Amino acid sequence: MGKTLFEKIWESHIVVEKQNEPDLIYIDRHLVHEVTSPQAFDGLRMNDRKVRRPDLTIATMDHNVPTTDRSLPMLDQTSSIQIKTLENNCKDFGIKLFDINSPNQGIVHVIGPQLGITLPGSTIVCGDSHTSTHGAFGALALGIGTSEVEHVLASQTLWLEKPKTFEVRVEGKRKNTHAVTAKDIILSIIKNIGTAGGTGTVIEYRGEGISDLSMDQRMTICNMSIEGGARAGLIAPDEKTFDYLRNREYTPKNYESLVNSWRDDLKTDSDATFDKQFILDINDIAPQVSWGTNPGMTCDVDEPIPSPDEFSNGDPNQKKGAEKALEYMDLKPGTMIEDIKIDRVFIGSCTNARLEDLIEASKIIQGQKVDSNVSAMVVPGSQMVKKQAEEMGLDKIFIDANFEWREAGCSMCLGMNPDILSPGERCASTSNRNFEGRQGNGGRTHLVSPVMAAAAAINGHFVDVRKLDLN
Amino acid sequence: MRGNIIKYPRDNIDTDVIIPGQYLKVHDYAELATHAMEGLDPDFHSKVKEGDFILSGKNFGCGSSREHAPIALSHCGVKAILALSFARIFYRNSVDGAFLLPIEIDQDAYDGISEGDEINIDVSKNEIKNITKNQTYKMKPFSEIIGKIIAAGGLFKYKPDQD
Repeated sequence: MGKTLFEKIWESHIVVEKQNEPDLIYIDRHLVHEVTSPQAFDGLRMNDRKVRRPDLTIATMDHNVPTTDRSLPMLDQTSSIQIKTLENNCKDFGIKLFDINSPNQGIVHVIGPQLGITLPGSTIVCGDSHTSTHGAFGALALGIGTSEVEHVLASQTLWLEKPKTFEVRVEGKRKNTHAVTAKDIILSIIKNIGTAGGTGTVIEYRGEGISDLSMDQRMTICNMSIEGGARAGLIAPDEKTFDYLRNREYTPKNYESLVNSWRDDLKTDSDATFDKQFILDINDIAPQVSWGTNPGMTCDVDEPIPSPDEFSNGDPNQKKGAEKALEYMDLKPGTMIEDIKIDRVFIGSCTNARLEDLIEASKIIQGQKVDSNVSAMVVPGSQMVKKQAEEMGLDKIFIDANFEWREAGCSMCLGMNPDILSPGERCASTSNRNFEGRQGNGGRTHLVSPVMAAAAAINGHFVDVRKLDLN
Repeated sequence: MRGNIIKYPRDNIDTDVIIPGQYLKVHDYAELATHAMEGLDPDFHSKVKEGDFILSGKNFGCGSSREHAPIALSHCGVKAILALSFARIFYRNSVDGAFLLPIEIDQDAYDGISEGDEINIDVSKNEIKNITKNQTYKMKPFSEIIGKIIAAGGLFKYKPDQD
């Protein structure tokens, strides 16, 4: 019987395999950031261990960094200490670091692909759940905890239970590819499979709806696999993938011969079977807006907010969850999404802060002004994205419209740097999590695509971007 | 293992409410513990005692890979989470660092056990006894793999069986 792409990558990385034991899996690339690594390095020191493969380990700082003027000292002492700690750890253990002043600094999941560090068929780990992003290149990319970070630093391997396989087939063609985006596809998938729908599985996204997407868009899809509960998300590499990675700063010297073998090897066999399947038809899908406090609580932009009964389908816990979410979000069932007014707009994060995201959002902004009741910011995913956008003049479009144009980092996605919502503030956000307090204590998050966020900034409330001329 | 239940009867308790992002810079575990569950239940610290268990619904610990989540709970004295299901990274983090036991339960245990109930967990028999109500439920056994990591006392102490 044939094998899935996941099974092929897994099997080619097994170091030790025994019945009823976890498999010991070799790790090709380890990405490190300032938040989940300090205790791991402390553990190495305590046990007098070295980093096994510093040459396969790459670090940057993204979670804590301020996104304002970097020539100024950092005001938050604890963040400053955590950043200094990463600098010292990288120096002590001989690890390449893209620090706060590096032109390659950025969100770890944005810089990996941009630098050609993310490669098809490889295993990639990082102490961050959104590591699944790298799966867009046909890499098996897993988010791990700090104990596992330490284990990989020490051994370049991990003991892992083999996940199950989950085929998510995206069929059809979007009618308006500017208005209905990759973000809307992945939010639709999570709305349907639920936040635990992918638990214990690696999702492979397949079908015409996926192969039509650009690499930036595919990364948005794989990025949010974790919000559907999956261990990872994968897309088989194709010519778009190979073109993207050609001639990057760290692209391997023997790249073309690698491409030749990837072309043959890195695909799911036609007779392979998956443990689970879900099919989404995207011919008629609408822009999505989350209304609740997890990414599964999402509806179409032209729908009203569902009642807890409608949402829960008779499941008492789901009903309670929806009631609590509506209370937290200060929303009532039946309210039309387009009638929801917003206070803040955040275009950024590892989900939607790549060049294409900024280009698409800028088309809506051009020649317009942010609504007087809204404050809006754009935080490019990396310094490289920022530079490319500035070369295209996108910064001017955003600044002229009264958006703030910031330095690269995780920013307002996760409320651990100065970019946070105040209690009660409502934000149209291109990030990945709308959990209670995620963007700051008491903050209210609506997950949307970059074009939906941009249109909300201009209008002061959500609008159906299908009504706008986006070409 | 014997202790009392703190029950959160809802699904999808995420790592951002277990330990909000602003505290991921805190390296002192005792201090981290003072912020556990801050995003969900401001009264958690007045309730929690050494040896307590948390009972909750589906997909417990979803979200971020932050190991700070099981660390903060374990340093409050929480010895186990009983839930209908767990998000995988939280589950592995709990076991890898030997912070607490993630125990999957069935609906009858979820419905039968109330806030404050005293229960006894016998992992060797895969059994949960509700002492307060004199009821017994099955827990889902750990997979062989996870059981071995738990028995070893965490990921760094685990060694595969020798032939």
